[in-house]
Amino acid sequence: MTYGYLARRLALIVPTALLASLIVFAVMRLLPGDVAATILSGGGETTHTPEVREALRTELGLDEPLPVQYGHWLWAMLNGSFGGDALIDGQPIRGQLARQAPVTALLTLYALALTLLVWLPLGVVAGWQRGRWPDHLARLAVLPGIAAPSFLLALLALLSLLLLLGWSPPIVYAGPLEDPWRHTLMVVIPAALLSWEYGAHVLRVARAAVAEALAQPYVLTAVAKGLPERRVVLGHAFRNALLPVLTTLGVQFGALLGGALILESIFGLPGLGRGLVEAALVRDYPVVQSLVTLLVAAVLLVNLALDVAYARLDPRVSFADTPQAVAA
Amino acid sequence: MGLRTAAPLAVCIALAALACTDADDPAPASNGDASQASSTAVPAPVRPEENPRADAVPALATPTPQPIPAEGPYGGVLVLANRGDPPAGFDTMRTSSIALHHVGGALFGPGNLVMRCRENLYLACPYLAATWTVNPSHTEWTFTLRDDILWHDGTPFTAEDVEFWFDLALNGYKIDGKVRAPAYFKGDLGEIVSVEALPDNRVRIVLGERNRFFLDVLANPRLKFAHPKHLMEPRLQAGDVSVSPLDVGLVGLGPFAFEAYDRGTQVRVRRFDAYFETDNAGRPAPFLDGIDYVIIREPAAMDAAFRSGRLDGGARGFGHYLTVERKRGYDGDLGDSVFYAEMEGGMFRLAFNVLRPGPWQDARVRRAISLWIDRDAAIPVALGGFGWTTPSLGPPNRFKDKAYVVWPTFDREPLAERRQEARRLMAQAGYSEGFRMGHLCRARQATGCQLLQAQLAQLGVDLHVQLIDEGEWNRARTSLDFDSQQGRLSVLPIPEGTEGVYGAYSVSPDSYAKHEDRKVTELYRLLREATLPERRLEVWRQLQRYIFVEQTYIAPIAEAIYVAPYRTYVKGLVVPPEDGHTHTDFATVWLEGR
Repeated sequence: MTYGYLARRLALIVPTALLASLIVFAVMRLLPGDVAATILSGGGETTHTPEVREALRTELGLDEPLPVQYGHWLWAMLNGSFGGDALIDGQPIRGQLARQAPVTALLTLYALALTLLVWLPLGVVAGWQRGRWPDHLARLAVLPGIAAPSFLLALLALLSLLLLLGWSPPIVYAGPLEDPWRHTLMVVIPAALLSWEYGAHVLRVARAAVAEALAQPYVLTAVAKGLPERRVVLGHAFRNALLPVLTTLGVQFGALLGGALILESIFGLPGLGRGLVEAALVRDYPVVQSLVTLLVAAVLLVNLALDVAYARLDPRVSFADTPQAVAA
Repeated sequence: MGLRTAAPLAVCIALAALACTDADDPAPASNGDASQASSTAVPAPVRPEENPRADAVPALATPTPQPIPAEGPYGGVLVLANRGDPPAGFDTMRTSSIALHHVGGALFGPGNLVMRCRENLYLACPYLAATWTVNPSHTEWTFTLRDDILWHDGTPFTAEDVEFWFDLALNGYKIDGKVRAPAYFKGDLGEIVSVEALPDNRVRIVLGERNRFFLDVLANPRLKFAHPKHLMEPRLQAGDVSVSPLDVGLVGLGPFAFEAYDRGTQVRVRRFDAYFETDNAGRPAPFLDGIDYVIIREPAAMDAAFRSGRLDGGARGFGHYLTVERKRGYDGDLGDSVFYAEMEGGMFRLAFNVLRPGPWQDARVRRAISLWIDRDAAIPVALGGFGWTTPSLGPPNRFKDKAYVVWPTFDREPLAERRQEARRLMAQAGYSEGFRMGHLCRARQATGCQLLQAQLAQLGVDLHVQLIDEGEWNRARTSLDFDSQQGRLSVLPIPEGTEGVYGAYSVSPDSYAKHEDRKVTELYRLLREATLPERRLEVWRQLQRYIFVEQTYIAPIAEAIYVAPYRTYVKGLVVPPEDGHTHTDFATVWLEGR
């Protein structure tokens, strides 16, 4: 791997994110709806005159040509204000990001950690013990995670806790440093549910990959050499099975963020997902464009990190600049 | 607002206005109530029975105020759910969102110059203005402000603030090519020629045309003063035309001052010690130390939080109001430790766009559809089990005479008879084979649309439900791009105020049904010109019959009852008979034995 490759990949993130922002910009403008009418209608409860609506559209800059609107937003992205101000309340998007991004990042991180600590090892064990009870148990455990939508699991979890324990998670979010105990109580269930869905895919891929690796000749060789079974599995089969697992982690990362959007709403977590959904519903164009662009960039960065990890894990993968080096 | 409320409300408000403003003698508060109000912060309302024309008023029971403990009910923080973040920077000129007004009542107060009386929300009471006078032609209103009102930053509230507020609401702001839009309710205020600050903390408002109901217009709880001149004007002059109350620190006039807002999480307000209202015993309001509004968007999450003891009260707003099913869960967990505030909700209806070509342009077809619908079936399906189709089933409201509830008395024949007539009308109109009709439907109210779809299919009407989200709903409902729609807006609680949603399209694009019927416009003109309550009521009934029966521009189906849960230790809550979205007054609330 070279720094040149990394630089090129990083540089590619910029046009990709720009392209994504253009697509989002176009899609949002193609969607029927009017943010000015939504603001003035107060959730569809009150009347207002067309004159007032037009005045508000002018105030919000929505009467400007579309390229100009995009240009304004782009400049606001580049000058560090992350898209300027939200239309719905005039507050800086940068401030919104500063509050919401850590919540989503933490939730995602917790879910990822649970996946790596719980579901991935279970997948390895299931592959190793294929056809035996640990395998059946593991596959049974992930079934709801794959089959049931996360919002349904979330509602079921809320209801179950209420009916069985008379308890519900706290309702006012606190950061991990502000109030660690309340923070834990608030995020533990959504993180667990999120990892259930995310980890289910990881477990199944890990199981299949480990099982396949265990059938390879080099594993037979290792066994024939008298290596302990555990070492064969963890030192040989698991390492080779990691590549598809990493691929799944990357591919499913978008889904992980998608799940976070829903669970944040249900569990009252003031994260990016909730902000994005709310902004989309009221056609707050700059907020949606800014958040989606940043999420796209985040997904691209995660994929880049995984590519780097490939090279670390598999000596056959190289990011060298020359064909000779690749061949070598 | 439901139609059935408008008639009695109109009479009450009219009498309140007449009582406070004698057209023959432009002296302050003719019957003395308002002048008495200047010496007590929670004044006695203007009661119809004290008015010489009270014989024209439908039986209005005297309200029974909740007793307040003599020792003083101070302390405690009330924890309420709020359905979302207050939008538009808490700007009450920009939006009337429920998420804003639930908080706004505490921050900005329950009224402006006047407010709806706590004892009877169909009457107008003084709030920031102690007294007022009006000239004989009802075009010039002069308000005298209380002299003990402070903004939350300690700045005195003056007539200049009122002048500034009206100017901003009516004209917006322009500077250096930048434009601030006027308030969304500009149209509701009517033509205001001038607003002038006078000496002695008085304000004169000159109207372009006679308006006997101007007090009622003002008493709309959506019209809150959230714009302190001394903080907002400098920002405007600096070119920040979109400056919002949030930008200047949410400095209001209400019983609670802003403490913190954590977007997506909560809004905290705390007792404002210099608040001007007192109770009848002279004890300063408010009684609570503060209110925490916890933002909970998901009704199921609110239910779990309430049932597990994390909330003292539920959120206001459609979706968060309880259904029968959800209430059952509350009852099971909490039993007698919870009470339910019942408020009249909006009407579930079907409105036609007769300006768009189609069979629905034929009044017989519209009438047939209206007759066909099984209204009682709508209550469990579309309204969560809480609703009514006959006056006797409505929510408790001791202020209104059931005789004035007009629309549910239409078409009370048995369903089988109505449906027989519906088939006859369809055949007569030449549509016995049915037809296809589009229906604009808010996604969050989809079950009601599905109910109509299923029912009308039996009549041969293929209702094509167009599910749309809020962003599109607010555009499409004012357009002509649909065949029929639900329509759901709150309007001024007087018959005249309903022209915005029942009037001709050219008069109001917000009309539920799109039509250009001159007779409707004429009836509204007659309504405005009616001077006697009897005549006013007569025209109002005629108008409803014309819109709902003779032309059936709108098919009224059922009226919702909104149910919000509170723990029984929450005392002194003002439960409005209707429009619970914006009647959010917590100045009189205290916690007993929590």
